[in-house]
Amino acid sequence: MKKFVNDPANFVPEFMTGVLAANAGLLDGNLEFQMVKRKDRPSPNHVSIVQGSGSGHEPAHICAVGPGMLSAACQGPVFAAPPVDACYETIKAVATDAGVLVLVNNYQGDRMAWDMACEMAEAEGIKLKQFIINDDVAVQDSTWTVGRRGVAGNFFVMKACGAAAEAGADLDTVYAVAEKVNNNVRTMGVGLTSCIPPAKGDAIFDIGDDEMEVGVGIHGEPGRSREKIRAADSITQTLFDAVQSDLPYNSGDRVALMINGLGGTPPAELYVVYAKAAQLAADAGLVIARNYVGEYCTALDMVGCSLTMLKLDAELEGLLAAPAECAVRVF
Amino acid sequence: MSTLTIAQIEEALDVTCDTVIRNEKYFSDLDGLAGDGDFGTSLATGFKVIKADLPGIDKSAIGAMLLKISMICSKHVGGSSGPIWGTGFMRAGMVSKGLTEIGHQQLTDMVGSALEGIMARGGAVRGDKTLLDALIPIHEKLQEMDGSDLGVVLAAVAQVADQAIDETRGLIAHRGRASQVGARSANTPDPGIVGIATILCDWCKHYGVDYTPQAAELNH
Repeated sequence: MKKFVNDPANFVPEFMTGVLAANAGLLDGNLEFQMVKRKDRPSPNHVSIVQGSGSGHEPAHICAVGPGMLSAACQGPVFAAPPVDACYETIKAVATDAGVLVLVNNYQGDRMAWDMACEMAEAEGIKLKQFIINDDVAVQDSTWTVGRRGVAGNFFVMKACGAAAEAGADLDTVYAVAEKVNNNVRTMGVGLTSCIPPAKGDAIFDIGDDEMEVGVGIHGEPGRSREKIRAADSITQTLFDAVQSDLPYNSGDRVALMINGLGGTPPAELYVVYAKAAQLAADAGLVIARNYVGEYCTALDMVGCSLTMLKLDAELEGLLAAPAECAVRVF
Repeated sequence: MSTLTIAQIEEALDVTCDTVIRNEKYFSDLDGLAGDGDFGTSLATGFKVIKADLPGIDKSAIGAMLLKISMICSKHVGGSSGPIWGTGFMRAGMVSKGLTEIGHQQLTDMVGSALEGIMARGGAVRGDKTLLDALIPIHEKLQEMDGSDLGVVLAAVAQVADQAIDETRGLIAHRGRASQVGARSANTPDPGIVGIATILCDWCKHYGVDYTPQAAELNH
């Protein structure tokens, strides 16, 4: 397989070096702990928002650091939790009297690392709260989790919490925002291919040319079912039904609708999916107040996408609309 | 009452590294009887890093040193043993924060805090056939003793751990990979308990404390 890789062992620090070089005015970092932080954090009057997980999901998590988004993030090796010392140093790097909100996607490895890091930080007198994100409706338990997985809905938690913190909300208020988003966001994905970690050099699971994994996880973990591939509209219908029926979202609800690419899907295909999803949402009486089409939480080079819906109220709509800046930009 | 200095604890850690590294294959073989056979290698990988880093790490206080050991365990010990052993060292380090020597009561508190942390992290309780079945009775034994003679204390806790090997041999594992084989885990020793007992017996040897191990796994 052909990839832009030097020594696979240096893949993560090398791409982080690139992120830092491309955002020298905004970010600084510590490659020893695979950590990136906002230059202007910590601030005594602003809650810091921290996240970290395995690499391979970019732009989550380090490319989501910036004003109105995360204050700092660290990443482990590809698809592996960051080590405890990295989590601890990341919390410490943005610790402030206003407190730190630690956002953790629900995976056993991540939870264990962040639990330990939070205990250590609290023992040092750092004020913090931890929140667990679990928006994936595909499976209740998986090979990587007890309970539901945290996937692309993570973006909305980061965005809303980041906006609230930027506006000066206190730690309890920012935590309540995380809770509200997580309670109202649902996601399901589909994979058409496997993905290739640079250190492994080949696909991490087998899937036929005519097959798709419905409910696939962002590390290629199995989802609900292996099925024959169908036309885009029919696949979109499957994703939409799974998400819409889970909450449920009711006629008249205002929603944010996201079609997230898993890393190997061309933008045009994501818009084919969005066209159908938007029509299904309209048919269900939903009002799409905000939309997101692109890559937010990927699985390396997997061909596939996920559909996320967030039910909005005035508070969340305002937080999503607030200005933000991070390493991902088109202008 | 006798006290333990930071230098003595560093020495005991160094002896522990040698024990774990020397038993890499044996502990994995024991784990292979009911688990996935990686315990010895997982532990040794981390303790090789501890052995190498120990001379240079922060020794301003016992707590600081143990927190650093905890970080190394979490980062370099593989599988579930990393967070488990890392949590144990972390909790012991929190109780000994800022101290450069400890007495018997503080030692007892460190073990108590470590086992509470391990229970919270892994969700195991006494009787689940994990290293807690050695640590809990060790903590109870420490609470009974006054600690006036360190050698007597060491021999007593080594005996408790030694006995835990045979007392738990017949149990069915309820945690970790061994729990997935159900009844097949009965009549195998728990490698975590053997690990604790082996470390304590090696401390006895190193410090010239007279103790004769009983369990077969300590005389292999």
